Amino acid sequence: MSNNEFTQELSVIEGKPSLRSLDEIISKPLDTKPDKKYYIALGVTLTMLTIGAVALAYSFYYGIGLWGNNNPVGWAWPIVNFVFWIGIGHAGTLISAILFLFRQKWRTGIARFAEGMTIFAVITAMIFPIIHTGRPWVAAVYLLPYPSQHSLWVNFYSPLLWDVFAVSTYFTVSFTFWYVGLIPDFASLRDRTKSKVKKIIYSITSLGWRHSNRHWRHYEMVYLILAGLATPLVLSVHTVVSFDFAVAQLPGWHSTIFPPYFVAGAVFSGFAMVQNVLIFIRKIFNYEHIITLDTLEKMNKIILLTGSMVGYAYTMEFFIAWYSGVPTEMFTFVNRAFGDYSWAYWIMFSCNVFIPQLFWFKKIRRTIPIMFVIAVFVNVGMWFERFVITVTSLSRDFLPSSWAYFKPTIVDGALLLGSFGLFFTLVLLFTKSLPVISIAEVKGVVDGSQPSHGEH
Amino acid sequence: MSEFNGKNIWKSLREYQNDPELLKEKISEFKEGVTDEFDTKNMNSFSRRKFLAILAASSAYAATACTDYRDKGEIVPYVDRPENVLPGKPNYYASTFVDNGEAHSILVKTREGRPIKIEGNDADPISAGKVSSRGQASILNLYDPERLKDPTLEGKKITWSKVDTDLISKLTKYSNEGKEIAFVTNPVTSPTTKKVISQFKKKYPTTKTYTIKLINNENRKLAWNKSFSSDLLPLIRWDKAKVIVALESDFLGKEGDNIENVKLYTKSRDIVNGESISRLYAFEAGMTLTGMNADIRFRLKPQQQHNLVLSILNKLLEKGKLPENLLTGETLTQIKKNNLSKFAADNGLNDKKLEILVKDLIDNKGKAVVYAGDYLPVETHLAVNLLNEVLGASSLYDYSLGFVNNGNLTSVDEINDLIKNMNNGNVGAVIHFDSNPVYELASNLGYADALKNVETTITLSEVNNETTKLTKYILPLNDNLESWGDYLVRNGNLNLQQPVISELFDTRQKETILLSWLNNGKVDNDTYHKYLMNSFKEDVYSKGNFASDFKTFWFTALHDGAVKTSNKKISHPKLNKVDFALANKVGSGFTLILQDNYFIGHGQYANNGWLQELPHPVSKVTWDNYAAIAPKTAEQLKISDNDVLKINVDGREVSIAALIQPGMTENTLVIELGYGRDNAGTVADGVGTNVNLLLDGNNPNKFVFDNVSVSKTGTTYKLVSTQEHHSLNDEFVKDLHLKRHIIQEGTLEEYSKNPKFLEENKAEVFSITNNYEYKDVKWAMTIDLNKCLGCSECITSCNVENNVPVVGKDQVEVGREMQWLRIDRYYSGTPEEPIVSTQPMLCSHCDNAPCENVCPVNATNHSPDGLNQMVYNRCVGTRYCANNCPYKVRRFNFFNFRDHFRDQYYQNDLTELVNNPEVTVRSRGVIEKCTFCVQNIMEAREDAIREGKEFDGSGVTTSCQSACPANAIEFGNSNDSEAIVSKHREHNLSYHVLEELGIIPNVTYLAKIRNTHSEDV
Repeated sequence: MSNNEFTQELSVIEGKPSLRSLDEIISKPLDTKPDKKYYIALGVTLTMLTIGAVALAYSFYYGIGLWGNNNPVGWAWPIVNFVFWIGIGHAGTLISAILFLFRQKWRTGIARFAEGMTIFAVITAMIFPIIHTGRPWVAAVYLLPYPSQHSLWVNFYSPLLWDVFAVSTYFTVSFTFWYVGLIPDFASLRDRTKSKVKKIIYSITSLGWRHSNRHWRHYEMVYLILAGLATPLVLSVHTVVSFDFAVAQLPGWHSTIFPPYFVAGAVFSGFAMVQNVLIFIRKIFNYEHIITLDTLEKMNKIILLTGSMVGYAYTMEFFIAWYSGVPTEMFTFVNRAFGDYSWAYWIMFSCNVFIPQLFWFKKIRRTIPIMFVIAVFVNVGMWFERFVITVTSLSRDFLPSSWAYFKPTIVDGALLLGSFGLFFTLVLLFTKSLPVISIAEVKGVVDGSQPSHGEH
Repeated sequence: MSEFNGKNIWKSLREYQNDPELLKEKISEFKEGVTDEFDTKNMNSFSRRKFLAILAASSAYAATACTDYRDKGEIVPYVDRPENVLPGKPNYYASTFVDNGEAHSILVKTREGRPIKIEGNDADPISAGKVSSRGQASILNLYDPERLKDPTLEGKKITWSKVDTDLISKLTKYSNEGKEIAFVTNPVTSPTTKKVISQFKKKYPTTKTYTIKLINNENRKLAWNKSFSSDLLPLIRWDKAKVIVALESDFLGKEGDNIENVKLYTKSRDIVNGESISRLYAFEAGMTLTGMNADIRFRLKPQQQHNLVLSILNKLLEKGKLPENLLTGETLTQIKKNNLSKFAADNGLNDKKLEILVKDLIDNKGKAVVYAGDYLPVETHLAVNLLNEVLGASSLYDYSLGFVNNGNLTSVDEINDLIKNMNNGNVGAVIHFDSNPVYELASNLGYADALKNVETTITLSEVNNETTKLTKYILPLNDNLESWGDYLVRNGNLNLQQPVISELFDTRQKETILLSWLNNGKVDNDTYHKYLMNSFKEDVYSKGNFASDFKTFWFTALHDGAVKTSNKKISHPKLNKVDFALANKVGSGFTLILQDNYFIGHGQYANNGWLQELPHPVSKVTWDNYAAIAPKTAEQLKISDNDVLKINVDGREVSIAALIQPGMTENTLVIELGYGRDNAGTVADGVGTNVNLLLDGNNPNKFVFDNVSVSKTGTTYKLVSTQEHHSLNDEFVKDLHLKRHIIQEGTLEEYSKNPKFLEENKAEVFSITNNYEYKDVKWAMTIDLNKCLGCSECITSCNVENNVPVVGKDQVEVGREMQWLRIDRYYSGTPEEPIVSTQPMLCSHCDNAPCENVCPVNATNHSPDGLNQMVYNRCVGTRYCANNCPYKVRRFNFFNFRDHFRDQYYQNDLTELVNNPEVTVRSRGVIEKCTFCVQNIMEAREDAIREGKEFDGSGVTTSCQSACPANAIEFGNSNDSEAIVSKHREHNLSYHVLEELGIIPNVTYLAKIRNTHSEDV
């Protein structure tokens, strides 16, 4: 085999590990007892979660007046958090579905984990639209189109309602996709385990998988169909989320660029978050040869691409605001960049547009500490993007008489912290309860596992 | 073997054979051995019946526990319905609202016997259906949970009979010993109360009366008396005036009967129905409601006002318009010393504008009036009286509704004597007759300390205050709405007051208390009623020549709320020649002006949350007073908003937060009184700063101080306002309200040249969908910005009508005030000479309401008569509607505000009675907003249906509309081409705010026309 052959794909798994060793290394975290470090990490995330839960309990008891929201800033941190977490969830489905359809083999090592993160991020995100309402106890019911005695029906004109459908569909499909992918792994685990309890659990969850050819054929087909179903969802969910803003007539929200801009931003932040977490996972669980530096570099390239798309959107927004000739629109954008919230705007702009440009350098793309820091910046920047869109537009809208500056409260902060607590708690539990890499799929991309012309 | 239907039934052969063994067995129920272990003693005593009973009961409990039903008591229909009370229908009673000595005729709306709203009495020529914010909000005082409920002696509850026996013996003792009984009261305007007091004085001859009043118009009265030898101050018919010059006078905001002034003044500004309007000049130091509505405003320190008047007189003299025979020699020399151009140059005023002013005054002889402020010195008032006489302003004077002088205030010497006597022990008892001297008398007089040396101190009051804290006997009084009374404030117009609810607590009317001390404690709830009726019969009925019998007359008078006692025509008296020389020196340093507050007065209404939360008409600050300071002065002293300043007036010091107020005169501070109350209630205490401490007791009517020193303390104190303060110099946000056509204005000249000048700003909006066709009634509102002065009476009316909660300072700070209607105030021009525009902003009930399509649960939707409706029960509180409302008029209940404000201060069984039963009380988590008073619409519609008439939408008023003293608001059916709203909507001056959004709002504004100097244009 010549390395100079251009038709030869680079191997995505390094070192040609034996299939058995893959089984072992991937299921090792499930077979061993968690160590001290794990408990410390879990302790930290649970503390964060508890802080958030206490803040939430207070908000339920006294009312959401405990937050910084005011008039005119009706939406603030909870909505920012919602859009942020939904955005985080985007990388998973993109990696597992779109890259699957494009036959990007390098996705194999990271797909399972990214999908898991999608589900956790969506769970975290879904909390916010409910709790941000004034009366969550009725919101949870009234937002659903249920047959009611009063012949009351939801308002299908409202983008918030579209959100309900988009997000719940997204969650369902992502979860199904993830679960289907897990079935062969469950079967492998079932066959390997010596624990009686685990055996029962895995037997149930593997749905009678026997690794038969027939099973594999069906499985591949289902996986392909689900990937096909999930692909438009990657685009649609954040498009619908962007409609929450775009459909409103508020200057700074009312913008046709929002759907693509939001999707690009979501992929951008999602990849950054996946990259951050995977850097730890591959180190801790010794997956460096499965989640290779090449894979990380490819992710960085996507971050660079989407970051530039986001940067393009930021600039285009300004251009369109000027080009539209609408004075309120122009004002809003100048106000964003130079008004009371310019600090937030420039945090957003630097983190999302300037800093990721460093990924043009191969060396930076392949240096783990630097790429980690850049991705952290990207996530900070993307949180601020949602903040800038939501809060600055509301705080100074049409009538100067109703303008007001928004200041968050400690409860807002606690809820954001709590959302990170919930997300990372779920991630930590995931690493110890399910294979974080698809055993079956990885085996398929190890060098020599597939017949290829190079081998002949 | 048994028998059944004549057949023998057998179950076994043994039975068939009638085995004797079997028969024996059959006798016992159980077979042998079965019951061996069956011992009833060891059995559970729980019987089968009981078990079933418990089972039934517990399932019933389980079933009922699933509901939230709680026994709220029995509701039974009236067996004997009280006369004229129809459940669901309000009753209105005429009565009188007494505010700081002024009497206002009111209508009290009651529902099922409880008063819920105070409106002006439209049958009364003076109030004409309007009443001040204080009057409207005073309904809350009736239900104030901190009202005094029982008489107390040194904090311990006592009975009225003990009060009576104790005090009668004590007062008799003091009278016999020759010790003084000091009777401290605010000016008494009731003839019958005066009668009671004089009887009291007769019975206890050592009684001396002291009349005090912090904010008063003594200078005006004194000067009038000197000029005209008359005690009757005329009402000025502002509606007939063409040129009005206000000298340091806030006649549209604070002085006199300002509601009546607004009503009359705005009639002269009716450009919508007329061709011309009056011109208002204002010379003032601070920025007042009058000043911000002036066409031409000059900044001038109050000490310069005298010279201004003299300079104008000099100009008239030069022009030969001032007959010298009206002047004394001394005055003539005084006038000649002044020169208008020099005055203008000295004070940085525009010489040319002053020239035009004088020209305006001369040209409009008989239609021009100069009005001096209450706290300008007597000499200035004298000069103004002369000036007005020359200008022929007497043709604008209306004596038939003139202001009666109800006696002058006690002089400061007498007060000092009283304090001396109190300290010497010569005063046996002090009776505070519904007055609060500890707060109202300047602290440097030492009244509070003197009280400690008086054996018996008695305070008659409705609520606790600074004085009750220092007195032994606290006697609770009835609220205005629980009292009888009569008031004579206007010439020949006797107002009657009747209770609309019986005493809620063990309180008495203040007159009843005195009567009880006259009649050895023999009084009941009806005593003063009878006394009043008798006195009315003697003094009014018998003196007049009335056709009806007394009973009819009395009830008619009560029904109308007032009775005309004389129709005597009074002519304008002759002007006396008087000197008005004034040693007029402006000291160095700062000038300080102390004023009362627009809403809480000088503190009487401090415990009223609605009034505390009403934004200041100019600064929009709530819940605080502040030192207003000019932008330039602030810049020089490096003072910014919220900096705490230490203010020193002749050694008296107060620290108070600063607010930079555009339009202020430099080196001047304006601070409002009435804040920093102590022992005045949960709402009032600790709100703002007590600046009464700066007053000088020995100069009781001095509210302007010289040589004031101001220094920064280095600390800050957060003032909160309902509108952000933007720098007027910031090019980025400057004049946005004009650039965005939110405020559209023109000058009279512009308008007369081109009445359609607003058309240029009209946006062309088209829709790609068909709009809904409103076939029957379609509601719309128009607001005439020529008439709207920003006085905020409408906000109070809306608050009361629609159960709007008080949220408190902490919530206003984060922009969560709940008022459905707000008055936006915009500045343009320079910070020194700002042009102020006001605009009431409320839900526009847009045809294409942007709030409606974004609500995910359909909680806000449109009615077939064009109302944007809000369904509270359906609302989940996403606040999406509020975000999408371009006017930001939707309000969100971030908390259950009744629960949240001051630890449930307004959430109790008593205060809940103030709520309008026709309007839902909103709880936490829902959005609310203006409904166009849908309850009034529905009432009118139901009436029409019941009467079988077609409902054409006429006769429906919104609460803001009926409260507006300027009648700036019109409401009605825009499909009816005859309705005023339809005509106003078609008017050349009409415009919609943000009409380019295509939302088709239904609140139409009529652009303001300013009568500025055409030379400036």
